[in-house]
Amino acid sequence: MMKTLVSFVSAIIISVSFSAFSKTKVTWSMESNADRDPIFLEKLQNAYNSAQDKYELEIQFEPNETRIESLRTSMLAGMGPDIVETPGPSYVKEYQEAGMLENLDSYAAEFGWKDKLIPWAYSSGVFDGSLYAIPKTHESMVMLYNKTLFEENGWKVPTTLEELEDVAGKIKAKGMDVYTYGSSGWQPTHEHLVGIYLNNYAGPQAVYEAITGEREWTDPVFVEALELLKKHMVDEGWWSGSLENYYAIGWDDFHAQFATRGAAMMTIGTWTFQATSLGIGQSGDEWGWAPLPSLSSNSGGPNFMIAIGTTMSVNAAAKNKDGAIDVLNWIMSNKDVVIDIASDFQFGEFVVPLLLDDSDIPSTISPQVTSYLNEYARITGEGNYGYCTWTFWPAEPGVHIWKDMEVVWAGDISVEDFMYDHQKMWDKARKKNETLPVPLRD
Amino acid sequence: MNLLSKKSYIAWYFVIPVVFIHLFVIGIPSILSLALCLTDWSGLGKINYVGFENFIELFDDRYFKKAIFHNILWTIIFLTVPVCIALMCAYLLTGIKRGQMFYRLAFFFPYMLASVVNCQIWKYLFHPIHGLGGFFESIGIEALASSPFTTKETSLYAAAFVDGWHFWGFLVVIYLTGMYQVDNHLYEAADIEGASKFQKFRYITLPMIRPIFIFSLMIIIIWSVPVFDYVYILTGGGPAYSSEVVANYLYTHAFVRFNVGYASAVGTLMFIYVIFIVGIFGLLRKLGWEI
Repeated sequence: MMKTLVSFVSAIIISVSFSAFSKTKVTWSMESNADRDPIFLEKLQNAYNSAQDKYELEIQFEPNETRIESLRTSMLAGMGPDIVETPGPSYVKEYQEAGMLENLDSYAAEFGWKDKLIPWAYSSGVFDGSLYAIPKTHESMVMLYNKTLFEENGWKVPTTLEELEDVAGKIKAKGMDVYTYGSSGWQPTHEHLVGIYLNNYAGPQAVYEAITGEREWTDPVFVEALELLKKHMVDEGWWSGSLENYYAIGWDDFHAQFATRGAAMMTIGTWTFQATSLGIGQSGDEWGWAPLPSLSSNSGGPNFMIAIGTTMSVNAAAKNKDGAIDVLNWIMSNKDVVIDIASDFQFGEFVVPLLLDDSDIPSTISPQVTSYLNEYARITGEGNYGYCTWTFWPAEPGVHIWKDMEVVWAGDISVEDFMYDHQKMWDKARKKNETLPVPLRD
Repeated sequence: MNLLSKKSYIAWYFVIPVVFIHLFVIGIPSILSLALCLTDWSGLGKINYVGFENFIELFDDRYFKKAIFHNILWTIIFLTVPVCIALMCAYLLTGIKRGQMFYRLAFFFPYMLASVVNCQIWKYLFHPIHGLGGFFESIGIEALASSPFTTKETSLYAAAFVDGWHFWGFLVVIYLTGMYQVDNHLYEAADIEGASKFQKFRYITLPMIRPIFIFSLMIIIIWSVPVFDYVYILTGGGPAYSSEVVANYLYTHAFVRFNVGYASAVGTLMFIYVIFIVGIFGLLRKLGWEI
């Protein structure tokens, strides 16, 4: 009898102390990628779990194709992960409007988040005056080129439209495609090109004015920008040789084309750095990067388009809100962790927009990426930045800009009609208060 | 008590679990979806009643009209090409005694594969670099230099071709089943009368398999309404809406454009159309048609 009593009491003591000292779980649904997942597990999940005794971070990976929809369904049901990861501010806006995200103002003030982040990136998460999202990664668009090929042929890296058209003719004469790129597997790829032409032809100032409603999208400068894109895409076949090939080519194909001299250049986002380094690295050629050429005198010189790739928020219905906040704060308070993970991706992913110094960039980063990071900081620091569509366009115009661009390229409607429809969608979004935060221009 | 144990109700008791599942999985969501067509719901957040605004906008939407036209074209293609090929092959197969099983399996095999697999096979075959186009180019022939899935003029037909390629084997199997049920004495009598193979097909086989044949047409018409997977995977409805179909249009509005109210209006029209088709077949049955 005594023995049973002792066992019973011991069991109670063990279970009570276990629950007192056991960690509470924090869940995070993250976009899956075979190359990146192990790094996030090791350097984010396991590192966080080892760094403290209170919470147990559990990252659940799922491909974005299904994750976005399953996240929405679970959030609607009042469930979902503690940390909500979205593909950009337009998604944050939808969740925030629905009251599904936690207001982070008090935590931001308590932990000084505003002082840790790049100002424009911080403001991209501010909706109706309050902070709801922290960027998980920020990015830009660049022009990559085969440096070895350019040097062999004595080609100059283009910085203006004239130089670009000149070198394009020379590249084509060699039997290569000017650019390699394609939308197979990700139809919104078109918006990368639209954004480039809007920002580098019409200029960031004009784009800013249109986003904020001071200028109409039907303005001739935007029409001319997209006419030029149509000319280069459809008439000249600059991307992968023809419009049809551009539609048929995907991520692996265009990296292979770039690595094997199928094309001399590539217009792409900075998320490519890791893949490009690996791909062309095997061919023996060296790659280089440059800001996208200015396509008219309106553009005001070289600029970098700013964009948020993914965002992190806290679920308003989170089971472990404190844990979720702690994870976000741990990320923002540990610059070394962020830099270490970002370095593994050649600063193509998990580039949390923390304020960094030149000395923060590790020597393990490729020289091309290091020079990009320095140039990006310098040029955007001078206020020369443009706007990527997936960060500053509300949901419906944001889809229209890529989905219906195909109709323009097919010649079914004119650029003027396209921009007229686009303006109507912006008017509708503005009326419904669906516009997204945009940093003030100096 | 007596009433509950009545023999005629026993079948109902077995059906009840299925009815409940259907009610929760299909019935209630369908009714809710029908209600959403009168709102501007984004899929999250507040739901505002907008009356028939979605329908008014829909009837003025040039891409929705284009999608409807493509669904009609799709239906016509499927009512003709796979049906004719399947009928012919099934009839020819009835004359094959040795190795028939091999043909049946070969024809039916694509139907057993997942749509993603079928689509990837054809996408790869028509890939401009790695596919047949690349091969032909390497031997100096420009054929298939562009993928038919990414060419505006051919994308819809190319997607229909792949879906038809996977589907026709299914038709062969059901036609073959019908043909084996035809009384052999009829063919023997026709042989005595000196009927040709075509005459036997036209005057014996076809009338005798009419219920199965009409059933196949009905399912083709109904299945052509929600056609989605092959278009979504192969072309995404593009380029430039050239292969857009109604279900893909609905999907884009519901899950990409955050326009669930509008997508529900599209779904409601699809639902009404299917009910109309089923009603027509029901009416024909009442009028004595053997279907």
